[in-house]
Amino acid sequence: MSTPEEYFIAQAPISAHAFNADRKEVCLSLNSNEAQILRKQGHEWKIVETLSEHDKVITSIDWAPNSNRIVTASQDRNAYVWSQATDPLTGQLVWKPTLVLLRINRAATYVRWSPNEDKFAVASGARAIAICSFDPESDWWVSKQLKKPIRSTVLSVDWHPNNVLLAAGSADAKARVFSAYIKDVDKRPQPSVWGEKLPFNTLCGEYSSPNGGWVHSVGFSPSGDVLAFASHDSSISIVYPGSNVIFNIKQATLPYVSLCWTSEDALVAAGHDCQPVLFQGSEAGWRAVGSLDDTTAPKSSGVGRASPVGRLNSAAFNTFRNADMRGQTAAPGLPGAGSSSEAELPTVHQNTILSVRPYEGTPYQVTRVSTSGVDGKLVIWNVAAAAGGGLAGRMEALRV
Amino acid sequence: METAFRKIDIDKYDEDVLLEEELYEPDPRDPAQVLADTRAKATTVRSFLAKDFLVTRGDAAGALNIVLDGAPYGPNVEEAKNTNLQTLLTILGSTKVPEIPGILKSLSQDTQDTLMKYLYKGMAMPSWGDSSWSVFLAWHEKLTEIAGIGCIVRVMTDRRTV
Repeated sequence: MSTPEEYFIAQAPISAHAFNADRKEVCLSLNSNEAQILRKQGHEWKIVETLSEHDKVITSIDWAPNSNRIVTASQDRNAYVWSQATDPLTGQLVWKPTLVLLRINRAATYVRWSPNEDKFAVASGARAIAICSFDPESDWWVSKQLKKPIRSTVLSVDWHPNNVLLAAGSADAKARVFSAYIKDVDKRPQPSVWGEKLPFNTLCGEYSSPNGGWVHSVGFSPSGDVLAFASHDSSISIVYPGSNVIFNIKQATLPYVSLCWTSEDALVAAGHDCQPVLFQGSEAGWRAVGSLDDTTAPKSSGVGRASPVGRLNSAAFNTFRNADMRGQTAAPGLPGAGSSSEAELPTVHQNTILSVRPYEGTPYQVTRVSTSGVDGKLVIWNVAAAAGGGLAGRMEALRV
Repeated sequence: METAFRKIDIDKYDEDVLLEEELYEPDPRDPAQVLADTRAKATTVRSFLAKDFLVTRGDAAGALNIVLDGAPYGPNVEEAKNTNLQTLLTILGSTKVPEIPGILKSLSQDTQDTLMKYLYKGMAMPSWGDSSWSVFLAWHEKLTEIAGIGCIVRVMTDRRTV
């Protein structure tokens, strides 16, 4: 079984991360108004440049692989496109920002380049998504807004491979599919399962989970014919618009906040549960395959997760139980009843995973994914670990 | 630091505010119908209990399904909601503790979620006395073991409150 590559970046939450095309550099933000570009040197990631232009916390970052441009979105209601240029004074390559005219009056929450890298979408708290394209005459990025029928903050977006359709997950408990057709940029898209005529702001689909909850993350399958979303009711939903079938998988864990497809029949979701989980299925049905994280393997402290799901056995629970049953109080500074070892989770990530993204492979066959989270860790996982090295694999090993 | 601004109801100044009703599908039945349905179910379950039906046949799961299926939610059905909770409590209270896990495992995931909603509603009732709280707590412990934390998360997330 292959172990994940684990990098501890900083003692701060990683709000967002994006790798460049050859995966030698990563752009991330440590819950601040600055973004750092890190380059891999040996087993370490070293800061090579800091992008500082935003006034408030950066919420999302995306790095276009072909045109090598970075886009950052922030709570200061702005987005910047960064591209590399030669500094006339020093002769070195530096990242230069270009302002984007978003025209939103609330925080920008999420940003993604379109597949052709000629547009990007910025989700925002202003109940709108700004679709941005470059205006060469004025030398800046202009935007057109998708507004109807969004009723609350948009939390995530994902582009369809045809460069026109856009999926959006929002705090009004809906996942929607819009047309983000821009006349000067796009050619007429081919008819698909989502519709034939697609002028700007056409609503091609609107879905929600039975129990509701904020839609934290949306994603089109590699072909673009299937939509998946993760919502705050600890479930993921997979939508087949052609046959109008929706699968809803309720999990016994805390909710997922991020997901990415790894092939036409599989996706990885991660979030408050602190471990990435592989789901597999087809139009006949979907199921959770297993975690990419081997939580039974002894970690540094040797705490295994032997207890079944939902066993109330957290450190906080034990603190209260000890206080109730034995009159023990874990005063700060005193070594409480095993509090130091129980505070460590049996997972690689020690806190919520905020982002899971494809790392290696093609869209139809992603072999590795990267995750970053509140614990300041950046981890690269083998997707095959869930299928091959999962519970079945370990049972096999036990029999020998 | 000035923090009073955090208490201002900013939605009051928003003309296009997102309303609670927009977040879930309303119950198609009208409130009077919901109340009648709930009372009918209560009668059914009570006759079960009177004949000691639950104990002899061990069909507490069936009784739970009757109560939890189509449970009243949304505005204007407060009486039906409370009646249903009373009915549920009679079932929960008449079940022996060792039987609880088996009953819970036979319920569907949706029914488990609805049951968890009622357990939290029951524990929030101020004047119901210790005996009912201990019943709710016992069921809550077992249900959490079987349905996981996700079940609790769904109770907090779902706007279709019972």
